[in-house]
Amino acid sequence: MSLFAEVWEAVKAVGAGLGAVNKRISEPAVTEFYPYKKPEIPPVSVQFLALIQNEDGTDRCVACLQCERVCPSQVITIERKRNPEGKGFVLERFDLDFANCMHCANCVEACPVSAIVTVGAFEHAVYDINLLKADKAMLDHIGHEAKTWYSPKFGVEIRTPDGRIEKAPPEMQPGGLAELLAEGEGGEAS
Amino acid sequence: MRGPTTVEPVPGRTDELIINMGPQHPATHGVLKVVIGVEGERITRAVPHIGFLHRNHEKIEEARTYPQIITYTDRMDYVSGLQNELPFILAVEDLLGVEVPPRAKLIRTIFFELFRIASHLVWLGTGMLDLGAITPFLYTFRDREMILEITEKTAGARMLPNYFTFGGVRRDVHPDFFKDVAHFLDFFETRLPDYYALVLDSPVFQARAVGVGVLSRERAIARGASGPVIRASGVAYDVRKAEPYDAYPELEFEVPTRPEGDVFARFWVRFKEMEESVKIIRQALEKTPKTGPYKGKVPPRVKPKPGARYRAVEISRGHLGTYVVSDGSERPLRVKHRSPSFANLQLIPDLFVGARFADAIAILSSLDPVFGEVDR
Repeated sequence: MSLFAEVWEAVKAVGAGLGAVNKRISEPAVTEFYPYKKPEIPPVSVQFLALIQNEDGTDRCVACLQCERVCPSQVITIERKRNPEGKGFVLERFDLDFANCMHCANCVEACPVSAIVTVGAFEHAVYDINLLKADKAMLDHIGHEAKTWYSPKFGVEIRTPDGRIEKAPPEMQPGGLAELLAEGEGGEAS
Repeated sequence: MRGPTTVEPVPGRTDELIINMGPQHPATHGVLKVVIGVEGERITRAVPHIGFLHRNHEKIEEARTYPQIITYTDRMDYVSGLQNELPFILAVEDLLGVEVPPRAKLIRTIFFELFRIASHLVWLGTGMLDLGAITPFLYTFRDREMILEITEKTAGARMLPNYFTFGGVRRDVHPDFFKDVAHFLDFFETRLPDYYALVLDSPVFQARAVGVGVLSRERAIARGASGPVIRASGVAYDVRKAEPYDAYPELEFEVPTRPEGDVFARFWVRFKEMEESVKIIRQALEKTPKTGPYKGKVPPRVKPKPGARYRAVEISRGHLGTYVVSDGSERPLRVKHRSPSFANLQLIPDLFVGARFADAIAILSSLDPVFGEVDR
């Protein structure tokens, strides 16, 4: 092939490429204008973990240590004591080190009472790594701030403006709602 | 045979220049360092150095319980994250004797193939970036974003979802899942011709790829290459056909092969694989019931009976196998991963020596290594 033929081939190739680009040039932009317009995150998305308290301010957590046991990176530390009135345990300490958390949500899957949940808040970059070492007060605070959250046991729940906790309507629920509604059968076998 | 571990200058030989490529070179797709001896434009010697991303996966996995390990397997080949969970899960399911519902198998297969497309799109974008084309990168990452959004809706994370589990999948798919996937496939099929026009059919690309980095069939087999690399050398080896797993026995698809073994053939095979994945997902979508069980009966404490099991799957880069040795306790005695990128990377001295220096970049991007998996 002569040099001119090669150059002509290259020019045609660039033309074909520009043709392919030109077809798409009028498509709407897909860029997210992030700090000004925040993206909507699906409720199951594992971004931040929180502890949920009941409407009357008591802990949902029953200190069964399931989440501590399943955590692959072992970032959850729980200390508990016997409940002075009645049976069971109460929390003394619940620490979660977000700096080492792998965001696998194994703890959320394991929780039998939906106390530890995933919430939609996702902006948790800080300058000091020690600020990511959350204690129970911080986890409770994230839980109080959250408007919606997800746990496999109860599905998506929402906090109404007057502070009540309700189950979200079916259109907000992710997959597996049929299993959630048939709670008499004990849910999934795991 | 153990090769040389470093490149020393030969005394008296002044026409050879020794160059470090990496570990921070943008074209090495991670932290690979290749010490290259060049004579003019021709590469005379090449020694790859790996291990910059070593995270001790296999030892950590000995100290974790079975459900915890699934989280770690994700982090090997982080570009096709979900696919890495499957060989470990299949091996443990065999040891446990768990029955997986057909619907769960189909859901797994759909996600598996979606991640194959996602991974090949990343390869196409970054590979063309190495060769000097920026446009495919912008388009492929936009398409991949749709797959990641589908995954996030159902599994809860984009790249490392930790979604498969023993006996099926963790939770049922999102109600919009089937609609979303069908929409993505329709959209992606309109996009593929553009990629052909921008990459494969372009004479500019062909001038850099045809006849470059030729890997013979014998050499590919001898070095244990797998995936698109070996199929581009004319060996129709695909784990999906050789040892079918999950729903693959029920699905019809072809294994694209090409005899040349050059960079162009490896690009071509990956393009055809994306088309085959679209076909597989379409069949699987038709077969999957909208509702039904997504998880089989698994004992609450995963304690497989003593024994060992090796299972392999065909991830985007090739044959990924996991060998699990169980001693009957909650933790495995040993977990060994056989990773395709690591085996494919052994081809660097074979392919680099004799090639031009600029072609080294093209050869490396056609091998498509991911260093999370090479170093583990």
